[in-house]
This record gives sequence, C-alpha cells and structure tokens, in this order.
Amino acid sequence: MELLPGTLDLLVLRTLTSGPMHGYGIAQRLQQVSEDVLQVGESSLYPALQRLLLNGWVRAEWGASENNRRARYYTLTAAGRKQLAAEREEFTRMIGAIQKVLDMA
Amino acid sequence: MTPSVPTFLARGWRRLTFRWRRTRLERDLAEEIECHRSLKQAEHARAGLSPQDARELSSREMGNIAIAKEECRDMWGFIRLERLMQDLRYAARMFVRTPGFTVIAVLSLAIGIGGNAAMFSLVDTLLVRPLPYRDPGRLMRVTGIYPRAAVPVFQQRSRAMDVAAVSVGSEFNLTGQGEAIRVFTSAVSANLFAVLGAAPARGRVFEPGEDSPGRDSVMMISDAVWKNQFGGDPTVVGRVIALNGINREIVGVMPPGFSFPSAKVDAWVPLRLDSSNFLEYWGTEFVPLVCRLRPGATLQKAQAEIRALVTQFRATFPYPMARDWNADAAAILLQTDLVGDIRGKLIILLTSVGVVLLIACANVASLLLSRATTRRKEIALRVALGAGRLRIVRQLLTESVLLATVGGGMGVLLGMSALSVFKSVLPAATPGLAQASIDWQVGGAVAALALLTGVAFGIAPALSASQIDLAQSIRTGSQRSTGSVWSRLRSCLIGAEVALTVVLVVSAGLLMRSLLTLAETHPGFQPEHILTVRISPNQSACRERAACVALYERLLSSAREISGVEDAAVVNVLPLDGPQPSLPIDVERHPKLADHPAPLFWAGAISPDYIRMLHIPLLAGREFTEADGATSAGVLLITPSTARYFWPGENAIGKHIRIAGEQQWRTVVGIVGDVRQYGLGTDRPLWIPGAMYMPYTQSAREDGKIIAAMTLVVKTRGESAHLAHEIRSLAEEQDPSAPVGPVQPLDKIVSGSISDFRSTIRVFLSFAGAAMMLAAIGIYGLVSYWVSQRTFEIGVRVAIGASRRRIIAMVLMQGLRVSLYGVAAGLLAALAVTRFLASLLYGVAATDPGTFFTVIALVGAVAGTATAFPAWRAARIDPVKSLRVD
Repeated sequence: MELLPGTLDLLVLRTLTSGPMHGYGIAQRLQQVSEDVLQVGESSLYPALQRLLLNGWVRAEWGASENNRRARYYTLTAAGRKQLAAEREEFTRMIGAIQKVLDMA
Repeated sequence: MTPSVPTFLARGWRRLTFRWRRTRLERDLAEEIECHRSLKQAEHARAGLSPQDARELSSREMGNIAIAKEECRDMWGFIRLERLMQDLRYAARMFVRTPGFTVIAVLSLAIGIGGNAAMFSLVDTLLVRPLPYRDPGRLMRVTGIYPRAAVPVFQQRSRAMDVAAVSVGSEFNLTGQGEAIRVFTSAVSANLFAVLGAAPARGRVFEPGEDSPGRDSVMMISDAVWKNQFGGDPTVVGRVIALNGINREIVGVMPPGFSFPSAKVDAWVPLRLDSSNFLEYWGTEFVPLVCRLRPGATLQKAQAEIRALVTQFRATFPYPMARDWNADAAAILLQTDLVGDIRGKLIILLTSVGVVLLIACANVASLLLSRATTRRKEIALRVALGAGRLRIVRQLLTESVLLATVGGGMGVLLGMSALSVFKSVLPAATPGLAQASIDWQVGGAVAALALLTGVAFGIAPALSASQIDLAQSIRTGSQRSTGSVWSRLRSCLIGAEVALTVVLVVSAGLLMRSLLTLAETHPGFQPEHILTVRISPNQSACRERAACVALYERLLSSAREISGVEDAAVVNVLPLDGPQPSLPIDVERHPKLADHPAPLFWAGAISPDYIRMLHIPLLAGREFTEADGATSAGVLLITPSTARYFWPGENAIGKHIRIAGEQQWRTVVGIVGDVRQYGLGTDRPLWIPGAMYMPYTQSAREDGKIIAAMTLVVKTRGESAHLAHEIRSLAEEQDPSAPVGPVQPLDKIVSGSISDFRSTIRVFLSFAGAAMMLAAIGIYGLVSYWVSQRTFEIGVRVAIGASRRRIIAMVLMQGLRVSLYGVAAGLLAALAVTRFLASLLYGVAATDPGTFFTVIALVGAVAGTATAFPAWRAARIDPVKSLRVD
C-alpha cells in the first residue's frame, strides 16, 4: 500500500524512538509493525533519511551490522523528538478530521 | 512538513557543509545502500535461495536507486543556485565568444544606466529626500519678501505658525582672525534654528531676544569657516571677531552639510529688530519668511492666517504701499521653495537620460533578437536534448540580466563622473547639491534598474527563441526561417530608437542655437584686456566721504603707474557679476501714487574713465569729468531704455532725478548705451525700469553714505598675466584690513556668467551624441541582419541578372524606410515636447524650422551611412557561394 504523502518522515522518526537503527532495520521494522501493510521502497527511504539528517532531526553514525559489514545507524535527536511530537499531534488531528468527514450522516 | 525558522537556518548551514563534503557523502550513501542490499541478500539466502538468485532478487527489490541518489544529491547543495551558476558560466562563455556584440551592448547599457545613476542621486537629494530638519513636512516658506517690521507682527499674531525670518545674505568682512576674508552672511531671526529644528555641532544657537538691539553682537559660523579660517579650533566658541568692523562673539558652529538658506551662506548673524531705526526697520532689505506649522494647525488655517496678516500689516506701512502688495502671499513647502526653478531643469535632464536608457535598451533588445535568431540551431539542439522551454527562456534571460548587471556596474562608475558634470549644470548655491553622491540607495535603485532593463530587453528575444520548430531548425540551420512577428518588432524598436534620437538631437540643436545667439549677443561693452579686482573696506572706514574718495584716488593713480596698465577706473559693480545694486528713485514730474511707489533704478557708481574704458557708447550729452566732485552739483548718466521709459519722445538731458530720501535733485547730463548688467540673455528685471550712473565721488547708498566696496578695473596692454599679482598687492597695500578678492579678467566673468548654460548644452550634446551613436549601431545591426537573412535570396537575384546597383538600392531602401518612419515620428514628438525646453532657450523658437531641418539632414545622413556598409556588403555577395550555403 502506498503511504500518504508526507507521512514517511513521521513513521521513520517514530520507528527510531526505540533506539538507533540502520536503513534496512527501519524498513523491516515498518513492514513488521504494520503487518506487511506498509511497504517502504528503498528509493524513498534513503532520500527521507537524508532529509531528516539535513533538518537535524536524526544523527548518523557508522557501526558494525549483523553480518559484520559497516552500516549506518540513525539516532533520534532532541530536535527530532520534538518534531515527532508536533507532527504526531498534527497527524492525529488530520486523521480525526478526515474520519469525521467520512462518518458524516 | 513546515520547519521552524531555526530548523530552516540549521538546514541551510548543514546544506552548506554538505556541499563541501559531497564526495564523502556520495561514498557514504553508496556504501549504506550496498549494505542494505547485502542484508536483503543474506535474508533471502537464509530463506533458502541460491547465492546467485539471492543476489539478483535483492538487486531487483532495491528498485530505481539511481533516482533516490539523485534526489539525495539535490538535497546536498543549493541546486537552484548551482543551475544559476551554470547558466551564468554559459552566458559568460557566449559573451566572450562574441566580443563585438558584448562591448556594444555593455557600453550602451553603461551609458544609459550611468546617466540615470547620476540623475537619480541628484533628484533623490534635491527633490525626494526630505530636508534634514525635524518634521520637514511642516516647514513652510511664506511667499513674498517683507520688511523687518513684519517679523514681530507675524510672530506675535500667528496662531497656526511659528514664524522666522532669514535674509538671502550678502558678503561681510571677517577680520580679527588671520587674513581678512569675505564671508557670505545671512541675517536671521533669533528663533530660526529652533523653527528649523537644527542643532549646532558646537556651542549653541541664538537665544530668544538676541535679535533685539544691544544683544545682537553674536554670530554663528559654518563648518567650512570653522575648519578653513579657524583651523578647526575646538575653543572657537566664545571667541570675538569683527564682522564688517563690528565685534561679535561666536556662539556656535553649525554641522557640516547645514546649508540654509543656501550653500553659499557661511555665517549667521541675528536679524536686528530695532523699531527706532526707521530705514533698517522699514526699508533697505526685505527678507523672506519661513514658518513651521504648529501642532494641530492645518495648512488651510495657515493660508487664511497669512492672507489676514498681510492685509493687516500692509495698512501699517509708514509710506504708501501698492494695494496689491503681497496679496497673493501663501505658504508653500520649504523644500519646494529651496529647489525653486531647478525642479524644471532636473525633470528635463531626468527625462533625457531616461530616453537615452530607453534607446540603449531598444538597441540591446534588437541586438539580442538578431542573436537569438542566429542561435536557433544551438537552441534547437538543446531543446532536442531535453531542455524545457522554461529552461531556455531562463538561460536567455540570465544572459540579458548578466549583460545589464555588467553594464550597470560600469554605469555606476560612469555615473560618478557624470554626476560632477550634472552638478555643474545647476546653481552651485543650491542647498544639498554638494551632498549629492552615488550612495547605497542610488546603488540599490541602479541595481533594480539594471535588473529591470535586463528583463525588459531580454524577454522578447527569449520568447522568440523559445518558439522553435525543432525539426525544421536543425535541418536548415535556420538561416532563412524567421518569425515575422519578431523581425517586425525589431524594426519597430529601431524606428522608435531613431524617433527618440531625433527628439534628443532637436533639443540639443535648439540649445546650441541658443548658445550661439547668446555668444553673439553684444553685452553693451567690450570686455577684452580688462582686469578687475574687488576691494571691500568696511563701511566704517568710509564714514568720511573724503577719506574714501582719497583711498580710491590713491589706488587709481598708483594703478596707472604700473607698466602695462593703460588706464584705470573704479566701479561699484561689474556687469554680469553677482547681485546688482538698485535704489528707490524720485523722478521729476512723475508723482508717486499709492499703487506706484518709488521706482527702483539700477545704480552704478563709477570714476569718469569707466565708460570709455569699457567702450560703452556715449549717445548724447557728456561723460563725467574730474570736475564732477563730491561737492559739485549732482550729475547722472542714464541709458536710452531709461530715457524712453520715463521721457518718451523728449530729450532726457537736463531732466532731474533724486534718490528717495535725498533733498538734492541730480541732473541727467548724458546718455550712454544700455549694458547687460544682469545676464547676457536677460534685460533688467521688470521691477527695475531704469538704470543710472553716478560719479563715484557723489555715490550714495540708501542711507546716503558713500559706497565703500568698489572694484578696480584696469585696461592692460597686450599680455596681462603678470599684472594680476602686481595689481592685487597694490590693492592690498591701500588698506590692510580690507579684503581683496581675486584678480579676474572681465572676459572670463562674461563667459563665466553663462557657464551653467554651457554645461547644460554639453550635457545635452553628450546625450544627443550617445543617442545618435546608439541609433546608428541599431540601424547598422538591423540592416546587416536583414542582409544575412537574405544572402540566399540576394544570390538568386544576382544569379538571374540583378545589377549591383539594384541590390544596393534594395538594401538601402530597407534601412532608410525604418529610419524614415523613425524620423517622422521623432519630429512629431519633438514638436510636442520641445516647448518644455522653452525656459532654457534664448533667441530661438522651440519649433525653429532651421534646427528641425538640420536635424533631419543629420539623422538622415547618419542612417544612410549606417545602412551603406551592409548594402555594400550585400552588393559583393557571390551568387555561387551564397546558393551553396544551405
């Protein structure tokens, strides 16, 4: 299923709250948690990560991966946490509003 | 997702750092993505796929990674900026490749923009920028001039205004501080500085009451006098110096740039309000009034009040006053008043430089249009390679804006030198003129102008180039395919250019005619071989008439002894040199009426030889002789225009005239030719109906005293340069306390009196010259382009037997048709607008047919020459070669 536009950054930020993670891990985690509903393509994941880096919402460090390759681990920054909270609230309001419109008698 | 401001800034900063670490980022991203793929591959392998299959599947699943990488790369830099840089680099390369085009375009724009930069700064300083005083919008000038007695009346009775008075000023002797000098001094009411809201740089301004008798021995000086005469001495406040022989204490120094009421004024003294001094209080010099509207008062209220006050005051005059005296008095903005008639001149100049810029723009636009057409193939290629229409337009606009920016940069440099030329066109005493400079505000305006012109002349070529039929352009190389709309637009541009040029050249021509007429005007005397020097003893030195006469007798006799001096005389004022003196006069049997107060006469005081030395013709009667001394009967010389005015059809010799207030009548003994005292191009002002000469020994001012300050005039034999020094030191010896001016040849004074006018003409000539050059380039470009477009056609014509002459005629027709339309339009426009020049013209009508015909011939000749070159080239087209080209 395609993601709603603009929600990928939010989901990535939320995923990172559980600790540092590399790109592959993030994609896996999104897929698992959404029970295979959300398929995040690599071609949109990496630009999204770059965007978050650029905005200073995540930090990146190199570390060893499970298969002993060099992998880049992303960590949520304080600014990122704040941004997540703000966006989450925004998103809930938006969904609520959409729901209300759809539910109208 | 809208980031907050700090995030936005942080992002910009990171972008900047990312930009520098690009290669590392690129490597990191590639490694990261590869790691991602290998983890995928490992998982597939765990699920039981063969290593080969696992690798392939993982690669496929990654999708279009190239696009993702591209997207990331865009984020790492300032992609728009980089595209702009790319466009700029490309544009610069294009310009370097066509240096002729580039130089012409940049120069045209530099001329246009430079002139505008200079004019902007003048207009900004003089017309736009508010006066440098507190709340300048409420500062007014009350029109008309008023005796001192009016000042307290206005000050006490006005409810809507705070009223101050300020005299135009005159030269005073400043002594007691180094060499005696002449300082232009304005007398002001004590509240003037408070009304203006101007603060001193040192010391204080005048205090209330310092314009009353007994308390007025104070003065203020300008920054220039403080620096030049007092060496910037910080203890100058409190020092006592002598001004016209009266000791005054310096109480304050005004800051640099304070130039009120004019830039000439270098000192201020209180305008003494002494009702017991009848002549000073009611007569002598009338002064202008300025005022500040009080808080809450409206302009309408002030106007009504001024009318009422003038009416009340008129009735209190102790002598008859014209019933309509100052009846039209009103408050006008002080700024408007200070700028005065310069406004018209400025607007004419501003319009002219605007026209030059328009011509430059039309020229560059036309050049770019033809370039755009010859670049069709290149552009078509770029479109074929995937460049969007917007991208092409942007590229071409970048080129034109780059041109305009370079032109603008050079224009600012040019403007700096143009500014000093423009300044010389305006009267030097204009307040604020010296301060006009090309500052950052003008720079900003110029930048905006450059950008605007860049877009203005770039938009049409860019649009024309972007409408390209791909296949056809590439196939034919597009030598012959032209959008007819765009080539017609080009002809219109050139036609308009020629029209504007005609307007400018006609204006310059009319001004030239005026200058020639002026230069040929006979001023009424012969200024050749005459040296002059001004000597200004204090009036107190001439308390005794005899002492003053003796001083000048001594001066004259020792001047005559200098070898090389043929003759010497003194005169109170030289023709065409500064303010001219006038006296109220009673004319025998011309009774004064309430509506016709005593007429003013121009009043010269001369030693007997003056008339002969300047070759002023004696028309009737006799000249003055040494016998017309201080104690003999009063005699006068008058001019023919005076005789005609007062005694039409009668013999004026023997008639009697008396200076108002005197008891003795003076007798007219001779009539000498009229002299242009006030200006080469002007007669006496209307309010001065007569002119008379008194013998120096009998001379009188309003107060009946002899005139102290005189000018020594010597006639020299041949070369006079070495005499200047001798004459000056001779003058200095007579009275060490009397300031002596510079030695000036009279013919220099005469030509200097129209130097404003000369510079105006120089400016107009350079405008017209620039316009003509631009138009010639424009026509040349248009016709050469036309020829290059029709090489094939001309080849065919020659091949089927057209003669060279026919080809030349065909091309000439092409160029001349455009010029003809342009000239016709220009003539109509010139007929419509030259009347705005009328105030600058002398002795020539604004629609002078001679000038118009000359201009037609001149512009026609230039257009013909500009067309001849391409026509000649067309005639040499080799049909064999031209047919093989495409």
